[in-house]
Amino acid sequence: MTKTLAFHSYKGGTGKTSLVVNLGAVYAKQGASVCILDYDFRAPSLNVLFKAKPKLWLNDYLDGKCGINDVIVDESAKYNIRGKLWVGFANPSLEALKDVMSKDRRWEVKALSKTLAGKKEIIAEKNVDYLIFDTSPGAQYSSINALAGADLVSLVMKADEFDLEGTKELSRGVYEALGRKSGVILNKIPLEQIAASGGREKFGKEIEANVGLPLVGLIPCMCELMAAGGKSIYTLDKPDHAFSRSIDEIAETMKKM
Amino acid sequence: MHVVFVSSKGSDPVVVDLLRKLNRNVEVVTRKLDKLIEVERSGARFSRPTIDMPEGTPLDVTTLLTLPDHLRKSALALSSLGEATATDLSKETSRVRAVESDYLNQLVSMGLIKKKRKGRDVYFYIE
Repeated sequence: MTKTLAFHSYKGGTGKTSLVVNLGAVYAKQGASVCILDYDFRAPSLNVLFKAKPKLWLNDYLDGKCGINDVIVDESAKYNIRGKLWVGFANPSLEALKDVMSKDRRWEVKALSKTLAGKKEIIAEKNVDYLIFDTSPGAQYSSINALAGADLVSLVMKADEFDLEGTKELSRGVYEALGRKSGVILNKIPLEQIAASGGREKFGKEIEANVGLPLVGLIPCMCELMAAGGKSIYTLDKPDHAFSRSIDEIAETMKKM
Repeated sequence: MHVVFVSSKGSDPVVVDLLRKLNRNVEVVTRKLDKLIEVERSGARFSRPTIDMPEGTPLDVTTLLTLPDHLRKSALALSSLGEATATDLSKETSRVRAVESDYLNQLVSMGLIKKKRKGRDVYFYIE
């Protein structure tokens, strides 16, 4: 049974893309078949991380120029993984970004329909265990389309108050309305706060009380991650690193949700 | 109510058989009507939507978010299937066909989806 996961946030810069790629890599390393879709059409970045130059983009699929499976690229051979890692890229060109911003509501209706139908086609043809959507922050159409297609929505946030308020709004107005199972992943938390006695429980209680959602995981803030600048998939390159171990934990938690 | 038909001497067995069948059908209809009355009294399932949609409102995600849960489920299922009958959609939503048909017709009345006839089947779709 395929699990469809969507990663979303109120603000940008919360680390969704890094989390999505590393989590997908963990599942693929374990032998699962994983497909990641870049639904962040306003700031696509997966093509940089995977150093990919696909002929067709997810934008082409949503515009009705090709089938969804024509867009999906097999990236497995680049990595030491037992399973499969498929990726659908969003077009980062300036014309594509302008085009995305000019879409009207009628187009968005079709995009929702194509997102839901595309999900079924990927599952049927690629037989994936995990389908993962990386989305744009905030209440963008494309993001909510992806959330509508997901079984489980993870909100990625940093633990500052501004983030908390916006995330609460998203939780009430979107996730609850869509009836999707959801949880929070706190990113960029000082390692010593996580390691402190009862640290995890404390964060869990705070999130539950303030956002009303369960805590899925905590990811430490580490300077070397920023220095890597998204050029490395840590869970594959440095599996024993504290960051990778926190992603392993999140992967296990999400399997049970 | 149970009716006993006594086949007396001289009565036509064909007529008696027809009356028995008629009685069985009346009992089935009565049971269904009782169920419908029960559902109506319990409220939610057949309740009409209270929101008015401006004419020409497209069924995008922002519209979906404003719909009540039971209609949103039908609308999302239709978005996924593209074009479908109430039977197709009831399989998708795991609801009874009659209930699904009612919800779909509510969405049609609100102008969010359309329907067309193909032979004996009615297909719902998003324009």
